[in-house]
Amino acid sequence: MAAHHLAGALLTLLGALFLFLGALGIVRMPDLYNRMQAGTKATTLGNILTLAGLALYHPSWALKIGVIALFVLVTNPLSSHALARAAHGAGVPLTEGSVSDALAEDLSPEGGEAVES
Amino acid sequence: MKQVLAILALLVLAFLFAGLVPMASKPGNGAVGDYYATHGIADNRGSNLVTSIVVNYRGLDTLGEVTVLFLSVMGVGFILRRREGTPKYSPVPASPILNTGANLLFGSILLLGAYIFVHGHLTPGGGFQGGSVIASGVLLLILARRDRELSHDLLAWLESLSGFGYALVGLVGLVVAGSFLANKGVLPLGTWNRLFSAGVIPIIYILIGLKVGAELSTLLDIMIREPAPEGGGH
Amino acid sequence: MIYLDVFLCVLTVICAVAAMVTRKLVAAAILAGVVSLIVSYLFVRMKAPDVAMTEAAIGAALSTVIFLIAIRRTEEEER
Repeated sequence: MAAHHLAGALLTLLGALFLFLGALGIVRMPDLYNRMQAGTKATTLGNILTLAGLALYHPSWALKIGVIALFVLVTNPLSSHALARAAHGAGVPLTEGSVSDALAEDLSPEGGEAVES
Repeated sequence: MKQVLAILALLVLAFLFAGLVPMASKPGNGAVGDYYATHGIADNRGSNLVTSIVVNYRGLDTLGEVTVLFLSVMGVGFILRRREGTPKYSPVPASPILNTGANLLFGSILLLGAYIFVHGHLTPGGGFQGGSVIASGVLLLILARRDRELSHDLLAWLESLSGFGYALVGLVGLVVAGSFLANKGVLPLGTWNRLFSAGVIPIIYILIGLKVGAELSTLLDIMIREPAPEGGGH
Repeated sequence: MIYLDVFLCVLTVICAVAAMVTRKLVAAAILAGVVSLIVSYLFVRMKAPDVAMTEAAIGAALSTVIFLIAIRRTEEEER
């Protein structure tokens, strides 16, 4: 087994671990926003690591995989940002122990104080 | 009760279709399929046999399919038409992050869709796939840029012209080669596996791609607009 | 790989049944999109990339969006 095969397999395994942690976070986190951040950050890293492992394993695919990685890097945070904002707009509540709601402070007309109600 | 019925219906369907599985795994049952598999490449010089079947052998059916899509978009447009003086999109602006991301992504999504239908005769995919990819890019733009209006006139022109072009290519085949949507004898077939090959197939698939993209974009834009406020009269 | 295929087939059937029996319209629309996504993978495995692309672009993306928009609009009409 060549060295780059071993490295690629290890990177893919590491990516799979992060993807698993992301899935675990989606199940375990208390509210939608926390779940979403587990499902975004961990899966983005997991995807990138898996793709990097694939690129090491098959060096001739590297360019295409780079394009895919760039696409994941743009779309994954973007889509979950849009989802989280839409959920906030629809009034999905925060979990009990939340300290602050920066988006509500931002959107309130006073600009600095949280909206009442 | 309803759930039990649903599961029961699924089981009955599974039982009915179970007989088809061994049939599907056996290649070459039927003269037409055998003909396509053996003569398809020599007839049309397209390396994607599926495209040869969809656009050439079954080109008339595809014309009907495109017409069905056009009629459904027209129906949606009639039912959900906008009344005068109503707000077009939701007044809540999209966040700057979504704006920037949409600007960044829209070009590449458009490019991907165009690539898919321009290379329809060479690689998997074609007009329908590329058109729907383009429509999903337009959806991203509609969601992100609520201050801009999507020009329905432009889309309607694009859609009508490409539909007209499709029928025109078919009529040219009828006049020059003797059958509607004929491929042989209309344009040179060229060399196998080149971009400029397979006669009229790439032209038709590009037209289908433009038509499907314009139609689905129009459909999404009509549906996503805010409905008329109360008092508009239904 | 065959185990993965069988697992995904079973998952498709489970998602389809869940989409039928669920009371929430939005969940049903999302589940229908999930079914399309898995089925498009299965199409790739069955060497039908053309169908897979159609299924992924129209079934999983556009028709889910159209369902969701339609659900939102009909809710507004009912109110």
